Amino acid sequence: MTGEAHGQALPAGLRERVLSASLRARAAGRPEPAPPEISPAEAFSRTADAFHVTLGLLNGGQWAAPALRGLDVQGLVGHLIGVEEDVHRCLTGDPEVAVASHVASTQPAANRQAGRPPALTRAEWRRAADHTIDLVRTADLRAEVAVHGMRLPLGLLLIIRAFEVWVHENDIREAAALPPSAPEASTLSLMTSAAASLLPLAAIRADLNDSVRVHLVLTGPGGGTWDIAVGQSMSAPADVTIVADAVGFCRLAANRVTAADLDPYVTGDQDRAAAVLAAATTLALD
Amino acid sequence: MSSERAAPCPPAGRPVSVRAVEDSDALLAARLAAGDEFALAEVFDRFAADVYRAALVVLRNDAAAQDIVQEVFVELWRHPDRYDPALGTFPAYLIVIARRRAVDVVRSEVRRLVRQDLSCRTAAAESSPSPSEEVIAAHVADSVRAAVRLLPDGQRRIVELAYFGGLTYKEAAEVAGIPEGTAKSRVRLALAKLEEILDASLLESS
Repeated sequence: MTGEAHGQALPAGLRERVLSASLRARAAGRPEPAPPEISPAEAFSRTADAFHVTLGLLNGGQWAAPALRGLDVQGLVGHLIGVEEDVHRCLTGDPEVAVASHVASTQPAANRQAGRPPALTRAEWRRAADHTIDLVRTADLRAEVAVHGMRLPLGLLLIIRAFEVWVHENDIREAAALPPSAPEASTLSLMTSAAASLLPLAAIRADLNDSVRVHLVLTGPGGGTWDIAVGQSMSAPADVTIVADAVGFCRLAANRVTAADLDPYVTGDQDRAAAVLAAATTLALD
Repeated sequence: MSSERAAPCPPAGRPVSVRAVEDSDALLAARLAAGDEFALAEVFDRFAADVYRAALVVLRNDAAAQDIVQEVFVELWRHPDRYDPALGTFPAYLIVIARRRAVDVVRSEVRRLVRQDLSCRTAAAESSPSPSEEVIAAHVADSVRAAVRLLPDGQRRIVELAYFGGLTYKEAAEVAGIPEGTAKSRVRLALAKLEEILDASLLESS
């Protein structure tokens, strides 16, 4: 629809002039208001604090509630303790943890929580998270590390750690019949950026061959806009725009909701958009 | 990006259903806040003509109205959170901003003309106005003359003598048979009243 539809043609060149001036005043893609920038280490620290608070809300029955993959809440916290222990091994140079399974390697830590007072599990997790924070305090966040089959910069690992802790916090909240939580905007901003940057990898994992140029718009605090090329086909790429809630998209990437649950606003090739969203769920760790 | 899931999702790579939701002002606002330049273009294509027309009604000058359109959309893009969909529609919000900006331009022009007249009624202007400024000035002058007719008699008389008669305050005071201080005081009151009348008439006309 143009201005002429209103019976008043716009002067020639005005559209280009106005859009150019706007994009000079604020770059495309940047959210407004933008949350304060924080480091990945700070994001992990904040997420760990939020998780610790949630654990403090649980009563005895809630600690024993079934949560995930046959684990009760206490066992799931044990799984996270095991992940932190593997991260410690990674950061202190243990090469074996590079190829360790995310689930199998952490199962002993989950198992050993059985029968313990929940307060001890909570305290053990706090110590494990604090030790991670201590280990990365002076580390080069650009340095490459390898753990659980991933080789990636330390900063990205910390964002993924924050992501997993938040996701499991919500698994626990669901098991304990508590309302869900969302990361605060600065942390969420790092999570959405990470998820967007990993979308091409997700497409490869999902064997998405069709080339798609995705204009991804994630709304709400911590959101933003990204233009991402996915798929490996030599054919002409399709253009799709996907608009979704930032927290919802992170839940999708964590394989906690489906694209239908996400209820995105899509323009362009609907089938390819659906395929891209389905591919995003492969970012979830096993 | 995290792991295990009790309720399984569709296998990766298998298309899942995507429900496209209806477009809305709230969605457009959220997209603008997220930095979606496509949303900015959409908003422009849908509402720029209304914004342009609103500015043109007040300013009666194409170039000045275009400047207002640019200001309105740049402001929207820089501060999308200032629009609250709960308080009104997008076009209504944009048109209100356009009118305010246009009225500000006219008000500023009124002040410029008055200042110029007060400081040096018989001297040439400090700088030559641009063609668009001349058009606005002519429009403003018409509006000012109409507004002067609405002033109380005492104020109108002194304004007519001082402004349209080209007299100094001292001369105007002598013709009106009042002290010079009273003449100046009446002019100040008249100018304040004129601004009120002009604001009201400009908003009404827009």
